[in-house]
Amino acid sequence: MKKFFSANRGSLFTLLVLILMPFIVGLFDGASPATVFVNGSGQAKFIEGLAIEIFILAVYAISFDLIFGITGLLSFGHSMFFAVGAYLTGIAIKSFGYSLLPTLGLIFVGAVVQALLFALVLPRVKGITFALVTLGLGSVFHILVMSSEMGKYTGSDVGLQGVIVPDFISPANERLRFYFVMLVVMILVYLIYQRFVNSPTGRVCVAIRENEGRARMLGYNTFYFKLAALTLSSLTAALAGFFHTLYQPIVSPNVAGMGFTVTALLIILIGGVGTLNGAFVGAVMYRLLDYGLRRYIGESASFINGAIYVLFVLFIPYGIVGTWRLRSFEIKQGWERLLKLFGQ
Amino acid sequence: MEYILDVQNIQTFIGQYHILQGVNVRVPKGSIVALLGRNGAGKTTTLKSIIGLTAPREGKVIFNGQEVNGMRSFDISSMGIGFVPEHRAIFRDLSVEENLKIAERKKGDYLRKKDFIFELFPDLKRLISLPGTSLSGGQQQMLAIARALVPDNQLLLIDEPSEGLAPVIIESMMAAIRELAKESTVVLVEQNFLVASKLAEYYVIIEEGRSVQDGNMKDLVADKAAIHRYLGAA
Amino acid sequence: MNSFLRKNFIVIIAFAVMAAFLIAAAQGMEKKDFVITLLRGLAVGSITFLVASGFSLIFGLLDVLNLAHGTLFMIGAYIGWTVVVRPDTFVDLLTPLALIASGFALGDVYPLLASRIRLGSSMRRILPWALILVSLLIFWRILPRYPIAIWDVENYGQSPVTFAFMADSGTRLPVLPAAFTEVTMSSALIGLLLASIVIAFGISLFDTSPRTVKLTWKNFIWFAVALIVAIVGVVFNNAMTDYLFGLNSNWLFFVAVVVATLSGVVLGGLMEATLIRPLYSRPIYQLMLTLGMSAIGIEMVRAIWGRPEFVMSKPEFFNGGGEACPATNFADWWANHCSTILFLDGRVRVYNEIFIPLVGLVVLVSIWILLQRTRLGMIIRAGVQDREMVEALGINIRRVFTMVFALGVGLAALGGVLAAPSSGLSNAMGESLFLNALIALAIGGLTNYPGAALGSVIVGMIQQFIIKYGQIGIPIPFTDIVFKPTPPLVPASTVMLMVIILLILPNGLLGKKE
Repeated sequence: MKKFFSANRGSLFTLLVLILMPFIVGLFDGASPATVFVNGSGQAKFIEGLAIEIFILAVYAISFDLIFGITGLLSFGHSMFFAVGAYLTGIAIKSFGYSLLPTLGLIFVGAVVQALLFALVLPRVKGITFALVTLGLGSVFHILVMSSEMGKYTGSDVGLQGVIVPDFISPANERLRFYFVMLVVMILVYLIYQRFVNSPTGRVCVAIRENEGRARMLGYNTFYFKLAALTLSSLTAALAGFFHTLYQPIVSPNVAGMGFTVTALLIILIGGVGTLNGAFVGAVMYRLLDYGLRRYIGESASFINGAIYVLFVLFIPYGIVGTWRLRSFEIKQGWERLLKLFGQ
Repeated sequence: MEYILDVQNIQTFIGQYHILQGVNVRVPKGSIVALLGRNGAGKTTTLKSIIGLTAPREGKVIFNGQEVNGMRSFDISSMGIGFVPEHRAIFRDLSVEENLKIAERKKGDYLRKKDFIFELFPDLKRLISLPGTSLSGGQQQMLAIARALVPDNQLLLIDEPSEGLAPVIIESMMAAIRELAKESTVVLVEQNFLVASKLAEYYVIIEEGRSVQDGNMKDLVADKAAIHRYLGAA
Repeated sequence: MNSFLRKNFIVIIAFAVMAAFLIAAAQGMEKKDFVITLLRGLAVGSITFLVASGFSLIFGLLDVLNLAHGTLFMIGAYIGWTVVVRPDTFVDLLTPLALIASGFALGDVYPLLASRIRLGSSMRRILPWALILVSLLIFWRILPRYPIAIWDVENYGQSPVTFAFMADSGTRLPVLPAAFTEVTMSSALIGLLLASIVIAFGISLFDTSPRTVKLTWKNFIWFAVALIVAIVGVVFNNAMTDYLFGLNSNWLFFVAVVVATLSGVVLGGLMEATLIRPLYSRPIYQLMLTLGMSAIGIEMVRAIWGRPEFVMSKPEFFNGGGEACPATNFADWWANHCSTILFLDGRVRVYNEIFIPLVGLVVLVSIWILLQRTRLGMIIRAGVQDREMVEALGINIRRVFTMVFALGVGLAALGGVLAAPSSGLSNAMGESLFLNALIALAIGGLTNYPGAALGSVIVGMIQQFIIKYGQIGIPIPFTDIVFKPTPPLVPASTVMLMVIILLILPNGLLGKKE
């Protein structure tokens, strides 16, 4: 037990900070923890909102890290995984009056189906071609969402709005509860991913990233392992989409676009590709940066975002967490093999 | 003796791997030197380090009295070194003539050297307009060597010229190499000890990334123990 | 023959299916519609091809997927538009740009200079940064004060009708000549020149690998050219501005095309030399870098030109009207420069549907000649297969890389400026066209040059036919429903075609198997 604590000191400390954060922020604002607990407004609520967005982004980014950073599949259609979850949730609740649990079941089915759709493509195409095909699938979905025929359900280019969220988790009135739910979800996802990556299946995924031919020669049917990674990733991203719809008043069609895939790429690049908790660090950095820049600089924020992105690519390629860990030699070796994989 | 190429204790890394851990090669002007050794000993890497394709991290490569290590490979090559890589790396999408023309260093090199090359490799003249893909293994090897002859090179680095060729073709290949050694110096990597011993005047044995023995080829042919130790049963 | 059939079985079937579709499509519409749709498809295909061919050249030789290519296409369009609308700004920019470039033109001189300076190792490390800092300070002092004709782009973001009217009647918005007020002319010019030399020297110090350079007059020729351009730009500023304003729109359009293409070439060369080059050992990061560059490019366009959509007027040569228009024969067209001609009963717009495909054809042929008949082309074809060997032959392949990247971006910029009069300018024009080009390449084969042309034409045709059928509708057999494809179906259909073709032929129609 003691060993567990000392080994995970950093994570547990972060967790503690995250649990206490709304109350501490409340204190700065002059609100007592009790007020914050019964859902007072003000700074605490705002910070909770920002944190919820970060958690959703982190869950989404970690799902991209699984297929790109761990398994080595470069998909440009990842935003579709998220958007399917978001739109299915919105449509099920708004147009068909589902309650939350059946909706969750529905997006579970939807996520598996779309993972299978991507898997159809898997054995045929590799590397850059896989990226192009997934880009194609993603943009078809984006076009579909934006089209006026689907407007009744998706709200076409305006976005999906008017989803009535059940009271007990309403982001307006019960934001603290939403915050803790999202925190628990994120931690669960992280633990599951950690478990997956360290499981025999996950190890084969890493092997596929480093040298697919060799993994196959060792007798693994790499297709099933890639499918497993894709399915898990799709489920997670759809879950993030589910909470996105619950939290945001409008689901903008942008979440289905190429730009949102780039967001995921950016986040794990900042955090560190293939590191899992880099997704969380990256999401924090990305969202705060974006928020700060938009607030203080305004329009040209995305220009600076892009510049930061390029600087990261040029000078900090392993990301924050990756560079941190790079002290250990083995990871660097694995990295170079990943890079070799793309450089053939 | 005057050395055209002097490789002093070079250390080369490929990625994390320390491939060459101290190789010394001295090449007297106008001679043929064979690099011998087992598979994976570092012979090819030595050639590539000389021409700068895998730049040595330490040590010196002196060509014609000038230190060339650290220079970009096209600069090194332009000083007068021709490289004939293993596996006959000719350009498949180019015709035979284009394969020769691309090696020009000055305009007109190809026209000037044409007759000499076709005298050495009469086969190529026949195939001049065919694409590289349609050549046989021996023809490709000839083309690869011919390509290194187009510019005025003082030194030729030839990697495994006899690999995968039929005995008859090896004979004519050897004749060609002897012919061109009259004009320039040749460094040869050769697995086939018989071929190497017939061609070369000097040898350097490379073992696990180090040059372990060098000298006159005649002495090595007599030294059965060394042959057995370093090159296996030859 | 037999083995050819067997090897290319799937490709032949694919072509047969597409031909069948084309015939089926022809059945459903009148002849004039068919001809016009075909020509429009060709026009869209040509623009797509200009972008796709550059992209594929770059990908083939450098293995770089330049995801910023669509953005560079857009930048080309905007630069061309600026030259047409406000030549004075372009003339004003000439001098500072030439001065900034002049220092870098002296590239070969700096290593010699550096070898003369003896410095301690710590100083050697600080010196380049110090030089860069000093020159950046000078730039920061001078550049914001350098007089450049600034104008409100919003004025031009008006409806096409208004703008065309203004352009036709010869009125442009009032021009105020910019003059040196905040800095003196001599200090600005000398300052820029010095700063440029200092920064170029500083950057060259980073490269410590030994080189052998012999100084000849050739090392100074580009420097001299840049200086002359700068001096001419400043001395004849007003004369040049007046001259350009006085030009008729044909020549102005020509100048715009040349300037935009050259800007593309320069941008491409700079991008390769500074950003792409450090990342050749990390290809996946190159991909991410170009992705970032595309976002930055769009933001830059928004910062400089804003969000309004612009229209670029067509050159007079293709924009005439009159009694005899639309022209029915060549003489009529030549006499009136009609904007449209009647061809097989269809009204064909000369610029869009004849001129652009012609340019596309010219580019196709000239690049083909470049690849097959010149030494550069030979090196490119050889380099696609084995870069290392090309370098071992004594060829500076880095320089070839830069040239090919510059050429590719130049082609994209050319596409942009040509597309501007027919499709207008907007912040989004790059993205949609780039998606088209990507699809075209995936269909034709990523590194295959003829494949790029074929794929572009297929993509253009399919889109135009679907748009046309969106107007006339497709009667579905055995029912009386008329199916009208809606606009979103246009991109969706080509994307689906790409996915299907990639699934059957992962290397595209004409691509070689790995």
